[in-house]
Formats: sequence, C-alpha cells, structure tokens
Amino acid sequence: MMSGKDFLKQLITSFFVVVTLVSIAIAILGCVFRPEQRFGYEAFFAPVLYGLLSMIPVAIMYSKKELTVKQLYIRKVLQLFSIEVILYLGGYGIENIKTASKSQTVAFGISIVIVYVLADVISGIINANDAKKLTKMLQQYQK
Amino acid sequence: MNVRVRKIGNQLEEVVEVQCYEVTEEVREIVHFVKSRQGQLTGNMDGRQYEIAVMDIYYIEAIDNRAFIYCAKDVYETKEKLYALEGELEDKSFLRVSKSTLLNLMKVTAIKPGFNSRFIAVLQNGEEVIISRKYVPALKEKLAGGKK
Repeated sequence: MMSGKDFLKQLITSFFVVVTLVSIAIAILGCVFRPEQRFGYEAFFAPVLYGLLSMIPVAIMYSKKELTVKQLYIRKVLQLFSIEVILYLGGYGIENIKTASKSQTVAFGISIVIVYVLADVISGIINANDAKKLTKMLQQYQK
Repeated sequence: MNVRVRKIGNQLEEVVEVQCYEVTEEVREIVHFVKSRQGQLTGNMDGRQYEIAVMDIYYIEAIDNRAFIYCAKDVYETKEKLYALEGELEDKSFLRVSKSTLLNLMKVTAIKPGFNSRFIAVLQNGEEVIISRKYVPALKEKLAGGKK
C-alpha cells in the first residue's frame, strides 16, 4: 500500500506521461485517417482532456491494504476496461468518435491499449532506475 | 593456536579472522561465539530450540500471527511478535520492508524493480523478498544513514 503523498506523486507523473503519449497517438491517427483535417488552437486541449479522463480509473489501483499480484493484475484489467469506456464516451462527446468510420473507431480503441501499455513501460523504466540507485546505496551501506 | 590482536584505524572494518589448517569443531565454536556476541534470537525447528546468531538471519516474516526466522537454508519459528523483534533489531541492519517482513540489509545482494512500483530484494541465498513502496522512504533513510 502506498501513502497518499506517494500515490499523488505517481498520479501526476502518470498524467504527464499519458498526455505526451496521447498527443503522439492523436497525431498518428490523424495523419492516417484524417490528414486533410485542420484545427484551431482549442485542439491542443484534447490530449489534456483525454489525459484527465484516463486518470479517473487510476483510483481502482489505490488500496489501503497490500494487494497480491493476482489482485493487482485483476485491477489492472478493470482499469484498462474503465479507461476504454471513459475515453470512448469522451471521444463521442467531443464528436471524434461520432463521425468516425468503423476502422477509425477500432484504431481509437487499439491506441488506448497501446498508450496504456507504453505508460506502464515508462513507469517500469523509472522504477528500474530507482532500483539501480537503491542497489548502489545498499552497496555503500554494506561497506 | 596463537592469538593476535591488532588495533586499526576507524576507516577500516573490524574483522575477526581465524586462520586454520582445517575447520574443526573448535574453530566452529570460536566462530559461533563471535557471531553470538552480536546478538542472538531463540527459535524452534522440529521441536528443538536453537540460538540463532542475528548476523545469520536473512529475514523474519509474520504469517497468521506467527513469526518465522529465515536463515540461509533453515527456517525457525519464534514466539516473539514482529513488532517486538523490530524494536529489538532496529539498531542493527534490520528494516521493516512490508507489513509482515523484517529484512537484514546485510544479506541483500541487489534490489530490482517489481510489479506495480514495488521493489524486490535479492538475497545472498537466491531468495527474493518484496519491498513495499510504502517502506521505500524508510529504506532510503536507513541506507543513507550508514551501518551502525
């Protein structure tokens, strides 16, 4: 179980990683499916909006008790499913999905999974870095 | 067996080294005595009671209101509660790394990343112990503070 402060720190880090990845995903999907589309500056809010919406299901991972690996996996699947639902509703709300073709809608769903996995990978890399630092500190401590 | 004592500077590590032709029972007794001077815990295994040198303990784990002392190969049960052992061992290289585990930092060879922002301590005997994220700040503080 994490302290509230640690959880908030992780949430903020995740938010910025997700917004960056969503920006890249929107750029790629846009270039593939709607290369002719032109936007005003308000379009820059879209990645931030999607980022904020995808933070809502992060609450699923918070627990006062320590979770087993099995419980963590189940919660991760639920979290991904929730993010898909929320972002589809969000995308429908800002008319991205409403006017999209079947293939665009499917690509949107797949891009959510890819962003989710990549965000996890980046989090894993940060964690691996932290582990390296801890090992170095440990080796100094043991001398 | 000759006995020699040599004073060293504070920058060096204090070591008791026994030079012998063969590791006899006498040598083992000397080693056991030196280890026991650094503290001992009482544990039970197969109905027998043992005195376990603190420096031989890898970690202590509480399961179902019982505490178990894990050494390199053997596991002993102790009647003491984990929180009591934590108090007893806090000035040694032991640290609480999860709700149910006290870890001897001197027996850890490396720390690697685990699932969901946890860490895993790899021990000298190959075992792995989970370090909960909640206890990482205390771990960093202990490692930064240096060995006592």
